Amino acid sequence: MKNTDGGQLYTIEGFAAGLIMVITAYLVVNATSIYTAGDTHINDMQLETLGSDALTVMGTPMNTTENVDDTNTLQSILESGNYDVFRTKFLELLNTTGGGRKQDIQFNASYSCRNSDDSIKTVPFSATRNLTGGEHPVRVTKWVIVDQSSCKNQKQAVLVEVLLWRD
Amino acid sequence: MARLNDDAQWIVLMGFLVSFGFFFLALIINQSTIVGQTTAESVIEFPKNDIRDVRDMITRNTTVSNEVEVKRDIRTISMSRKDAVVDYTDTTAISCYQNYICMDITFNNGVTEYHENWISR
Repeated sequence: MKNTDGGQLYTIEGFAAGLIMVITAYLVVNATSIYTAGDTHINDMQLETLGSDALTVMGTPMNTTENVDDTNTLQSILESGNYDVFRTKFLELLNTTGGGRKQDIQFNASYSCRNSDDSIKTVPFSATRNLTGGEHPVRVTKWVIVDQSSCKNQKQAVLVEVLLWRD
Repeated sequence: MARLNDDAQWIVLMGFLVSFGFFFLALIINQSTIVGQTTAESVIEFPKNDIRDVRDMITRNTTVSNEVEVKRDIRTISMSRKDAVVDYTDTTAISCYQNYICMDITFNNGVTEYHENWISR
């Protein structure tokens, strides 16, 4: 059989074309980022941390070193029933963006207390919007010691639960 | 009789190579959709804030009045609303250093178990 080397240029062209196609496909695919299930968890984690921090701030007494008054904001709000203060303060803490644009975080807050017959009562007390079912909220919680709740009038522990989501 | 035409074998081979290239790229893209899922899930499932919160409340209220009722609140509400077994025992009188306060704190939500011997002055 005669040895032909006439197709060498075609071979090189084939290599070049193949490389170009692969590189083009690679660039095109890389141009968009795929929003995966793992990415939604990252958003949830951030929102949970934010809400948890806000509740911790509200549940920390103003001045513990002097021990003048160890009542924290959350406790006085729950005891007085002044729930508008919760809404204002909580949104203020959530939407602190360093002077930038306001965020679009919505919340729905309630607290759970124990009746004397060991049943749990959950009392919604503040919300920016009602839950419609289409949201994808995360839950943050904070324990508070209060002197009275809608369950009983004595010193007790109640659990403040806040559902947070973005519009 | 037509003899076997063996022209263009290189081009066919290149075609194979390119198609394999596409195949492996597709494989990588396919994998990328689940990258980070388990990592994020394990982070979000770890009840760091729950443990810190319940621990903070217990240790800050060691001297709270109405202690029996408060403990019952914590245990019952934890079970009902957080699906977690929370218990704590003041072991100051049982086994502790002198002039210190000791507390055994247990948290278990079925996935994460946390136990602490809290000691403080």
